Formats: sequence, C-alpha cells, structure tokens
Amino acid sequence: MTTCTGCSLLCEDIEVILENGRIKETMNACRRGAARFRGCKNWLTPSVNRKQTDIDTAIKKAADILKNAKSPMLFGWSNSTCEAQVKGIQLAKKLNAAIDDTSSFCQGLLIERALQKKFRTCSLEEVRNKADVLVYWGSDAQDSQPRHLSRFSVFPRGESRQRGYEEDRLAIAIDVRESNTAKICKGHFYRIPLKGDREFILALMDALSGKVPKYDAKRILELAGLLKKAEFGVIFAGIGLTYSIKDDIDILVSLADMLPNFHIMPMVGHYNMRGFNEALFKETGFVNRVKFGVKPVHDNKYAIVEALKAKSIDALLVVGSDPISSLPRSVTSHLASIPVICIDPCVTLTSTIAEVTIPAAASGIESGGSAVRMDGKVIEISKVVENTYLSDVEIMNRLMEGL
Amino acid sequence: MGMDIGKFLKSPEYEIKLTTCRDIFQAETLENDRFGDEYKKHSAAVVMGKDDSKKFGLKSGDRVRLTNSYGTVVVEVRESKREEPGGLAFMVNSPWSNALVSDDTGEKGIPDFKSINARISLTKDDITTIESLIGR
Repeated sequence: MTTCTGCSLLCEDIEVILENGRIKETMNACRRGAARFRGCKNWLTPSVNRKQTDIDTAIKKAADILKNAKSPMLFGWSNSTCEAQVKGIQLAKKLNAAIDDTSSFCQGLLIERALQKKFRTCSLEEVRNKADVLVYWGSDAQDSQPRHLSRFSVFPRGESRQRGYEEDRLAIAIDVRESNTAKICKGHFYRIPLKGDREFILALMDALSGKVPKYDAKRILELAGLLKKAEFGVIFAGIGLTYSIKDDIDILVSLADMLPNFHIMPMVGHYNMRGFNEALFKETGFVNRVKFGVKPVHDNKYAIVEALKAKSIDALLVVGSDPISSLPRSVTSHLASIPVICIDPCVTLTSTIAEVTIPAAASGIESGGSAVRMDGKVIEISKVVENTYLSDVEIMNRLMEGL
Repeated sequence: MGMDIGKFLKSPEYEIKLTTCRDIFQAETLENDRFGDEYKKHSAAVVMGKDDSKKFGLKSGDRVRLTNSYGTVVVEVRESKREEPGGLAFMVNSPWSNALVSDDTGEKGIPDFKSINARISLTKDDITTIESLIGR
C-alpha cells in the first residue's frame, strides 16, 4: 500500500503494480490519483536560458540568480513534501526573501483561522465515525477530492453511524450550481446566487436565533432546523465559499459560534498546501505572504498576485506550481521581465518561460517524505519507483549550499 | 457569383456572467499533459443552460468568442445536461478562464476567479491554443 499525492486526502490505500520498474497499474485510486501515478507525458529537463544543460549547472545558475536578486520571492510549495517546505522557508530566511504559496489565492484565509483555533475543526476519522450532518458548502468534493464522500463522509459506515447515508447521515449542499456533489445531496441542495453566501449566512443566523430570515424563509428555517438537530455536524468549506466571503471571512466563524455541535473543515486541493501553511505558521505566526528580514513581516504586498502586479520582485523561484496556468493572465505579465526558476517533475506553462529549469522527483512516486492532510494529520508518503531524479528536499539543500 | 454577405456581418454580442468550477476529467488530463488535446477539450469550453443558449442563438459544438477588457478566448459551447436557472455560465478553471479574470483584487491578493463579466458571440475562429495563452 502506498499514499496518493493527487489531492489533500492523501489516500493511503493505493496498490501499485510495477512492471520492469515502472508503474503498470494502480488499484483504489480515483481518476486524478491514477493519472498522477501514471505520470506526465513531458518530463522536465535541466536547462539554462532554454538550452539543455546538466543538473549541476542549472542548480548553480539558480543559486546565482537568487543570490544576486535584491527582492526575490520563493513561491509554490503546495506540491512539495514537508521536509522540502521547511528547507524552503530556511532558504527564504537566508536570502531575506519573500515567501508565498498557492493558499495565498486559495484557502489560506480559512486555514489561518483553523490554526488560530478560531473555530472547531475535527479529523476525517472523526467525520467517518461520528458525523451525522455533512454540509458541502461551495465545495464540489466529487470533482476536487473525489474519494472524500466514499472514504470519510457520506457513504462509509462509522462507529456511531452504522446505517450510513440511508438513515444515519444527512448530506447537504449549498452552492451556486448543482455540482456532482450537490446531486448526491438529493432534496437538500440549496442553490444560492453568485456571491450570495454572505447573505445566506446572515439569513441562516437569523433563523438559528429564532428570527424570520429575510429571504427564502421557508427553506432557510428548514435548514436551520436540520443543523440544530445535528449531534456531530461538519461544514466542508470549499473554495466557492471562501472566495465569496473573502472580505468578511469571520462571518463563517460567527456562524460556527451559533452551531455548537458543528466543525469546519477547509477543503484543500493540493496535497500538501496545509503542510506549508503549518510550517510557516510555526516559524512566523502567519500561513503565507511573509518577507524575511530583521524579523518576518506579513503583508498583502507579499502575496504572489500583488507582488506580480506591483512588479516588486526581481526573481521568482517556483516550486511545484504553475502560476502562468493558475493565475489570471492580467497579473502575470511581470514574469516575462524577471528571471524565473522552475522546479517541477513536468514541463509546465511556467517552465516554458523560465530562465532555469530543474527537474525534481515526483513526490509520492519517485521520492518519499511526509505531508499534512486537509484535516491536519501528518501522513507519510513513500518512493515507489527507483529513479535518479533529485527529490525536492535535495534540490533545496543543493540551492542552500550554492548560496 | 453571388457575394457572401454573411461574412461581413458581425455576429451579435451578448453580455454573459461566468463562474468557474472543477472537473475530475479535466484534472485527470492536467496531470498527464497540460499541452495535450484532451486537456484543451476539457478546458476550452463554456457550459450553459438550454434557455441561455437559446437566448444567445447557440447550440452545443458552436465556437464562441468570450471577450472582456482583460482578454479574449475562443471556446466551445456545451449545453448543460442539468436544469440551470439561467443567467450564469460555467467554465472549468484553466488558462482559458484565467485569460478573462480581472486584475482588480482590492490589493488583497485574491482575484475574482469565480465572477467574470464578458461578452459572448458566435465565431468561426479556431479554439484558442494553450501556446497563445502563454503568450511570451
């Protein structure tokens, strides 16, 4: 059995069948996980100025770029092992660099509050054993964390939930569209307008405190009644919810305060985004957007999006991420005018414009380590295929030596 | 020989509101080959309810130009198989949707990935390639 790094569920029950040292087949993985084990079609090769070179030359050039930059940023990290993330934070400290990860434009706001213990949260095992009311809010787990419902929430039998979804569990979806997850929550799908989450929360809070909600009173009162009855409820807060209430994220904390039997779980996408957030939080008290100097400073101007817009960075190290693909094109033009170093197992949109490319072993397949699951549990990941690629932590060590 | 007047007529343009979502089939292709045809097929598409496609005079398989002040992409229309209330169309999060996302973040670092205003019009142009979206 091995662990899948396809998403932040880190499924530990994957069987890998090898043939001639290569992965022939996997068992138990979802489509996305199986695809990750199959690997990418175009492997990255070491290069400098888009000319192929050897790995030592590429690493030396990368170290030179970082050493000579006045305001470098180290970005990515959500597809890196915990060990590489810790080294990356040390590298940022040594360089007095800014460091940010994909949570900066994803679930960072919620994870920060989870780590600050602003709301109750729980483990996925507790969900499986105890949860009776499951609310997927702005979260299409069926497409983003495809085994969430089958391994932990809706479908399994649990210690206190022997009759599962037929009698013991209630699944609810709140979303702007009838997602594949919402389809499973038959009869309990609450469609809301785009950016309507805040108003929905306010109406729900009214209903929970005995007032008549301002809109859709009948259905909101019905929902409030279902939530009140929960013995162990969980709100799986997806990116749809987080984006919608990003200017007033604490309203979700206020709702949680009115639901004493409820827990909130931020639904994380990439396999180790939470690992980076926890490591940086431990080091600085912040989950992302930090610049090291005399002391670490946290500011929105150190968010990758703002730094690119303001053209305030003069070199960018990208580790296991593809900002040209995942960020709006309207903010990425600055990448064409600064040296970009790309560390990744695969050719990405960003690697095609990078001054330096450094191929890395794919973690969980070609290298091992540890990662933090979406609920905060540390999970070991292992190497399943022999190979000669450097792991992400080895590359970090080599960069550190190069400074 | 008669003149094809149609080619001089601009297709009507309509305002459209878009939001982004995830799709397991697209995620699978992303893992394997983000430069491949399958990833393009799953990404370069806009899904809308039947009422909206009728309103815009579109059908599944048509190519449309989506455009706003941040960018322009040509993608394929797919009619939703589900009941949609209308007024909102869907794109899977990808470089194609990201070409239309505003840079206005209120200096808070999170773009409005899920709320895009654009104009939609029928076109015969080819689907936008991923290479042109890198655009360096």
